Amino acid sequence: MAARKKVVHLLVAVTVFVAVDAWIYSSLRGAFHAIMAENQTKDIALFAGSAPLDPARVGAWLKTSGDILPGSRAVYLAVDATSGNFVYAAGDREVDALVRQNAASEDFKKGLDSAYYLEPFVSAKSYTVPGSAASPSITGRLHFAPVPDDTGAGVRGALLILSSGSVTGTYDELLLTLAIVAAVLFITIYWVVSFSRDAVMGFSILGLFLIVSAFVAYPLFESVRLTFVDKGGLSLRIWKEILTPRYLAALWGSVRLGLWTASFSTIIGFLFAFLTERTSVGGKKFVATMATLPVISPPFSLTLSIILLFGNNGLVTRQLLGLSNFSIYGLGGLVVVQTVGMFPIAYLTLSSVLKAIDSTVEDASLDLRASRLRTFVSITVPLAMPGILSAWLLVFTNSLADFANPLLLSGSYQVLSTEAYMEVTGRNNLGGGAALSLLLLLPTLTAFFAQRYWITRKSFVTVTGKPSTRLTELASKPVRIALVAFVGLSIVLIMSLYGTIVAGCFVKNWGIDYSFTLENIGEALRQGSKAIVDTVTLAAIATPIAGILAMIAALVVVRRTFFGKRLLEALIMTPFAVPGTLIGISYILAFNKAPLLLVGTAAIIVINYIVRELPVGLETGAASLRQIDPSIEEAAQDLGADMPTVFRTIVLPLIRPAFISSMSYTFVRSMTAVSAIIFLISARWYHLTVQIYNFSELLRFGLASVLSTALIIIVLLAFGLMRLLVRDQGLTEKTVSG
Amino acid sequence: MAANSISVRVERVSKRFRNSKGRSDVIAVKESDFTVAPGELVTLLGPSGCGKTTTLRMIAGFEIPSSGRILIGEEDVTMLPPNRRDTATVFQSYGLFPHMNVTDNVAYGLKIRRLSRPEIDRKVTQTLDLVGLAELADRAPGKLSGGQQQRVALARSLIVEPSVLLLDEPLSNLDALLREQMRIEIRKIQKSLGITAVYVTHDRVEAMSLSDRVIVMKDGQIMQIGAPQDVYENPVSQFVAGFVGKVAFFPVEIAGKSGTGWECVLNGKRINVERAAAEGIAPGRKAVVMARPESLRLTEEGAGFVGGKVRMNVYLGNSVESFVDTSYGQVLVQIDDPASKRVFAEGSTVGITFEANRIRLLSDQE
Repeated sequence: MAARKKVVHLLVAVTVFVAVDAWIYSSLRGAFHAIMAENQTKDIALFAGSAPLDPARVGAWLKTSGDILPGSRAVYLAVDATSGNFVYAAGDREVDALVRQNAASEDFKKGLDSAYYLEPFVSAKSYTVPGSAASPSITGRLHFAPVPDDTGAGVRGALLILSSGSVTGTYDELLLTLAIVAAVLFITIYWVVSFSRDAVMGFSILGLFLIVSAFVAYPLFESVRLTFVDKGGLSLRIWKEILTPRYLAALWGSVRLGLWTASFSTIIGFLFAFLTERTSVGGKKFVATMATLPVISPPFSLTLSIILLFGNNGLVTRQLLGLSNFSIYGLGGLVVVQTVGMFPIAYLTLSSVLKAIDSTVEDASLDLRASRLRTFVSITVPLAMPGILSAWLLVFTNSLADFANPLLLSGSYQVLSTEAYMEVTGRNNLGGGAALSLLLLLPTLTAFFAQRYWITRKSFVTVTGKPSTRLTELASKPVRIALVAFVGLSIVLIMSLYGTIVAGCFVKNWGIDYSFTLENIGEALRQGSKAIVDTVTLAAIATPIAGILAMIAALVVVRRTFFGKRLLEALIMTPFAVPGTLIGISYILAFNKAPLLLVGTAAIIVINYIVRELPVGLETGAASLRQIDPSIEEAAQDLGADMPTVFRTIVLPLIRPAFISSMSYTFVRSMTAVSAIIFLISARWYHLTVQIYNFSELLRFGLASVLSTALIIIVLLAFGLMRLLVRDQGLTEKTVSG
Repeated sequence: MAANSISVRVERVSKRFRNSKGRSDVIAVKESDFTVAPGELVTLLGPSGCGKTTTLRMIAGFEIPSSGRILIGEEDVTMLPPNRRDTATVFQSYGLFPHMNVTDNVAYGLKIRRLSRPEIDRKVTQTLDLVGLAELADRAPGKLSGGQQQRVALARSLIVEPSVLLLDEPLSNLDALLREQMRIEIRKIQKSLGITAVYVTHDRVEAMSLSDRVIVMKDGQIMQIGAPQDVYENPVSQFVAGFVGKVAFFPVEIAGKSGTGWECVLNGKRINVERAAAEGIAPGRKAVVMARPESLRLTEEGAGFVGGKVRMNVYLGNSVESFVDTSYGQVLVQIDDPASKRVFAEGSTVGITFEANRIRLLSDQE
């Protein structure tokens, strides 16, 4: 009953609005047409006045009529001295035929009579002139413009111009678009206000939908569409081209690389995690820090140091070992670099899993006289299995999506992400690039969904929030020593990789001249300052927007039920599973044309940052929000706070750690982004990582090292700031509690 | 404070929840219809899942009824969001703001209403005094005991002087002693302020001791509305009888109407039952007789209406509870002032008897 009243209200309001909208549209259109027609008549009159006296030159003059009315067709009728009638003198024969054909009609009589009395006239009806060899068919009104004689009191001839309303046409379209947009906006706003009890929330949901459909669904759709289109028609040409051994080799290359990297990373991650969570070795904090360090390391940095150490002119390969035919480029080098860069992902997953396994179950096994090895194999490993699988898949997905490392290090080894990039930049084949990155989606999505829906459900480990205080040492002493030795060596390798980058800053010409210099720093900063400033600026703009949006999205997803919630969540999460290369290509496809012409602007880069980091922010915020009793928010609302106030005074302060960490994460990830950004940068807006890549390509390793170091420093600063802000909150909370 | 109390009307309200998996809806509340008079405290009593909390949340505005209306005073608030209703809720989990101290928690509603700083300070002091928390004003909620948190939640709701106070199992997280204490306190404050209140609980003692009237609910439907004594003495069904207190049921056959009630046959013996429920009672039909433990008496073997054997005696000081095994199941007999009465030893065979005016005839349907 209340709802029916609202529907009636809505219908009335919409009807009224649409009527007013239509009326404004038609009157504006009418007024504009009148003005245009008047202007046109004036222009034609002026043009007619400029007719040359010499009949021989009339033909040439008439041809310039196109300058005044583009696409128009004209004929000049001179007044016959004897009969006083208008007769054809020059111009378009087809128009002349039209004149002859209709000479008897009321419209034409009036027109020619007006011309005779020096009055301009526009035909009441529209006429069509068929196309000829010179000009296409045209429909429109016929303008009768008198050409006065030299006295100015008599008529010498008449200019008849047929023009289409093409000028007004584009204006009409614009006006129509505006009118429709206004109507749609009005209807949605009115609808939300009257049917959602919580208009702000309604608009938030609507806004989120708008953002993800415009910047996730639409570009991806454009990508998919392009791969099925050829010369304006539906076609499988691109896919036929892509699904050939040449490109399938790249797919297999990606998968093979992923398999190796994921396996090595999981093993190393497990060993690290076992050491820090399941043994009583000292220095665990240091190990944990070293094991997580590479996860925040900027792209290219590890590749760069690997090249510096093991490349053609590498310190180890050339200088120390004197090898000349060793090549780090290819699968081997990629596996090493990716494993170093990605085992932290496995470590983070596995350490939390191993931490959550209660020691008492291992105790129980030992108590039942199982050996320590037996306990490890039959208890610990099976309990950790879901975690191990999920770590493996996570690394696998990351390896497949990796773009920066193969770009510098793949050599002749082919992987999909860089092939797609080459296809776009090298062969200017956008469709092929899109198809290749879509191909990459296949294994990535499989792994993503397997991870999300299969493994997480099989998890045995439940976090009780009560970590067992006691720890049973499963590793015997020799095993422990071997473990420590392995982890120690790995840490030395990681540190030396980073050390190499820093060293690279101060070496004159790596591989040839190892003398100390500070020149690199000056030059790199000179050449790279724009990139640094641009990148920091854009990332700083994107960070708070992404942070707030992510928290709003988290609130909406966790606390509300509404139609299409699943879809919204899926769309927000999509960029997490989709390789950056595909997003980059999709963006240049979708935003290189109306209505969202964004390519080359700062906006497209900022939007890309936001959309790509929203998933992590949403997950962080949602996880944090799920820990909070909904009755806290309900209590605030119950006490009179509207939704924005609840968000500001209750939700945001409570999930502040998640908010800050998701913002710092966004900032760092934006600073270190490559795969999508490399498609979107322009001369106006450059990116630090791309600059590093360019220096590396030019073999200016010193400059690349300086910028990499600068990037690492910025990233560390950002994380340091986050730590400070989160800790700061702990302090205030303590002071509040007295 | 609230001298002009206001009524709450729940008018034929139903609530269906969309089942997340299957297509079928879950009906949480079915055609609920009742009115809370101004200044009255009404309790919604029922087992978990009976729809009592959903009803409360619809009055508060956290849920929208699928059909029906909710009125506060004369105003139809069915579609109004919680922040635009003059209700204040005390939540089961308190919902205290963990990032604010006691004062800021209590002051929150006043800040939202943009009262002046001195006005807020004055009212906070006054309200904290009312609930006895003046010394803890600067504490964080996490550093308070359960009872103290409960008081903060109560103070936070009372300070905005709501027309209607809604309490959602507010005492369920407290221990028994504190619960009794808070129960009395809540009732005292509610009465002194004359505030209209709806109280949700599954604890019958709480419902009985607090309320002006009790609404007994089951499976989303109201079973009975009445004063505590009324629902205890005159339940309309076996469910209500069992839910509001301990009870024994004896199956009978109704022989016919008598001058003062119904002639029934229990265990082959004719009895006269003076009080009967309105439904399901007709000559020739099967029915049950309900009897409260305090209205039953034990007699020698062979006497009384039903025979049995004492299984266990529980000594409670002011009474002894005798659990007697009979052919109709275990029957609880309460023997008040046991020192002056005979208590049959465990294992002895006894008869059970009752007085005609203390029992009630109920339909044999649940």
